[in-house]
Amino acid sequence: MVTQYGIKFAVHLITNHFGNLVAKVCEDLLRRGPLTLDQLIGFTELTKEQVKNSLLVLVQHNCVQAFILEKEDVGDDREGSKVNTQYLALLDNILHRLRFPKFLEIVSQDLDEECVELLEGLLRYGRLTLKQMVDRASQRKGNTSMMHELQNPVAIDVVRESLHKLLMVRYVERCPAPSPVVSSPVEKDTKKRGAKSKVANQVPETIEQHVLEAIVPVEGIRFSLMSNTEVIKSDDSPMTSEENFGKTTVIPIQEDSTLFHANFEEFIRRCRHKVLIENVRTRLDDEAATILGAILEATRTAEKKVKMENSVPLTLDTIFTEVVKTETGRTMTIDRVRSSLVQLGCPQRMLDDSYSIDLKKIIELARNEEVESIVLKRYGRDAYRMFRLLSKADRLLETDKIAESTFVEKRDAPKTLYKLWKDEYLHMEKLVVTAARQSKFLLWKVNKPILWDHVLDEMYHAALNLSLRLAYEQEKDAELLNVPKDKIVGQLQKRYKRLRNVWLLLESSLMKLDDALMLFHDF
Amino acid sequence: MQGSSSQKRKRLDLVPSTGSLTDPERVLYNVIRSKKDMGIWTRDMKRETNLPDNVVNKALKLLQAKKLIKEVVNIQNKGRKHYMAAEFEPSKEITGGDWYSEGNLDVDFINLVKDLCLKHIMRQKVATLDGILEWSKKSGVFAVEFTTQQIEEILRALVLDDEIVEVKSTGFGDFASVPVGRVCYRCTSKGGSKGEPKAGAMASIPCGVCPRISSCTPDGIISPRTCAYYQKWLDF
Ligand code: SF4
Repeated sequence: MVTQYGIKFAVHLITNHFGNLVAKVCEDLLRRGPLTLDQLIGFTELTKEQVKNSLLVLVQHNCVQAFILEKEDVGDDREGSKVNTQYLALLDNILHRLRFPKFLEIVSQDLDEECVELLEGLLRYGRLTLKQMVDRASQRKGNTSMMHELQNPVAIDVVRESLHKLLMVRYVERCPAPSPVVSSPVEKDTKKRGAKSKVANQVPETIEQHVLEAIVPVEGIRFSLMSNTEVIKSDDSPMTSEENFGKTTVIPIQEDSTLFHANFEEFIRRCRHKVLIENVRTRLDDEAATILGAILEATRTAEKKVKMENSVPLTLDTIFTEVVKTETGRTMTIDRVRSSLVQLGCPQRMLDDSYSIDLKKIIELARNEEVESIVLKRYGRDAYRMFRLLSKADRLLETDKIAESTFVEKRDAPKTLYKLWKDEYLHMEKLVVTAARQSKFLLWKVNKPILWDHVLDEMYHAALNLSLRLAYEQEKDAELLNVPKDKIVGQLQKRYKRLRNVWLLLESSLMKLDDALMLFHDF
Repeated sequence: MQGSSSQKRKRLDLVPSTGSLTDPERVLYNVIRSKKDMGIWTRDMKRETNLPDNVVNKALKLLQAKKLIKEVVNIQNKGRKHYMAAEFEPSKEITGGDWYSEGNLDVDFINLVKDLCLKHIMRQKVATLDGILEWSKKSGVFAVEFTTQQIEEILRALVLDDEIVEVKSTGFGDFASVPVGRVCYRCTSKGGSKGEPKAGAMASIPCGVCPRISSCTPDGIISPRTCAYYQKWLDF
């Protein structure tokens, strides 16, 4: 699901961070899907050098992934056909750039200052080898003269230690191969995409997903920090010893060039967990939040993807053990835990006495809340009630019926419903009944998936506007920013204060809006 | 049952008086009467009787003067003149139901009832439909007696207002007095001030609630640089 304003906003971020040329290349990739170097040169009308450099920047910052599509049916003339590297823009990764402060915040809560610094470097430079990380750490310590000898043994150990910690909690991972060969998406997929290609932007997403799935390094090495002397720790690795052997002989040679980058997936998972827990806290109570938190923490590494629909099943005993480990859960009884699980919507135990919580439902409720608050503010309380009725009913309802159930004047209801429909918040169907007298009814419904896409697009639009307005305010008062601090007095001081307030408000609103973007796009 | 016997009686009574009607009056009266408590719109009478406009209008006046028919407000369409035979009481479809008075939704009354019910639930922490119904009858705060359906409607509206939530009793804490699994109502715990749900991310910024968002573009006539809503918002 790539929305128009999603792309515009992403391009805006890239322009801010890397300038117009890089943004041009990025925009073409976002709009057209994966392209080869030659195609990109053709579309962007930039020189080969410019495109290449832009791609280097984008790859370095994990915003573009190169890959080679394996052709199945060209077996005979494989030598003849030239290998075509394609470039795929990673929209999600581009948008994650907005969230870097949040990711750093998470690490500063979970780990120590060294880890925060290391991650800060990775976010700033996109991807780094261990050696580069050490160089950077040494630089920060002022050891620049020693750079090339690099042999500050303390520094390398400290950095390795921090990297190891970050890898253990999966906040950092090995970068995928620079240009891996990816098998073509399965035939069935291609057909489906063909048929749906008119539906906005189905294609890039499918290819993106396919490539992204294919390039993730195998679990065993994804989070491992290997060195010359170390062998892959096989404790959580499913590899056979033969594979192990094969890998260890290759890796020492590559050791130094192994690149690491932030594992956005894990950060987004953390953000999602936080949202889930806080939503349960407001909707139910602290106990339920504690229990959900304990479950998610215990099953974090067992989650196969970010958008888990249900929590990984755990038995009541395991849940209880996890709950009493937490500070807030220490005093809970097993009966209390069980009753909260019921509140959380797991009424029956599964066959093996395990509980699994419907996470998708919690996310859905949070999305509803966001949309409803827009409806209330934009269309008023009557509209709010009617919208909530339709949202809860999740089926077509007739105008009068809606008016009756929401205590809205029958003559006013159609106007409000029509407004909501015109702004794409509602779906409408006409029903003509030809009985004794012909009568026409209007039926209304909230079509959630479509509505959510629409709201998401409006959110990207709003985010873009916030960011543009911020730039405008800064530009308007540009000269103010060049005035030395002690010269800011009187009238200037007033303007300066205003600018600071404006800045704070816009920045904090953008961060809050970004939470909503994640809620609708990443969770 | 009662209704139909009284109708029979009336019909007997009426026989002589219809005798004094002119032909068009009788035709019209029969059509109106056949619609019972639904009544009929003047345009439909004209279509069904095939009488010219001026004849119908004149007949209607006379029938009204003779108190055989009455004009009623049709909630479905208040602009249309609607008539009904005098012996019928307008049906719910015509009046709009219990919450209507004289063709208008009695919003003040509804809000009052909602408010009192909400306060009751707040005091009780949790309440069941039966409990609220009983309280409405015994407490004496209401001059009228509500039906189960009416209370149900009020509760449903309060749920839609996000003032209360429908929950199933867990048997713990506030639910201790309610059997486990019974549906009950509880006030929503809102972060914000009473009555206003917590404003979402979009609802707290100008673009989120902007009626012109679809015509706003970065470099267009309506743009975040020139936008008046922003001007107001950022006016410190
Ligand atoms: S910038 Fe102004 S006009 Fe444009 S969407 Fe936002 S509030 Fe509306």
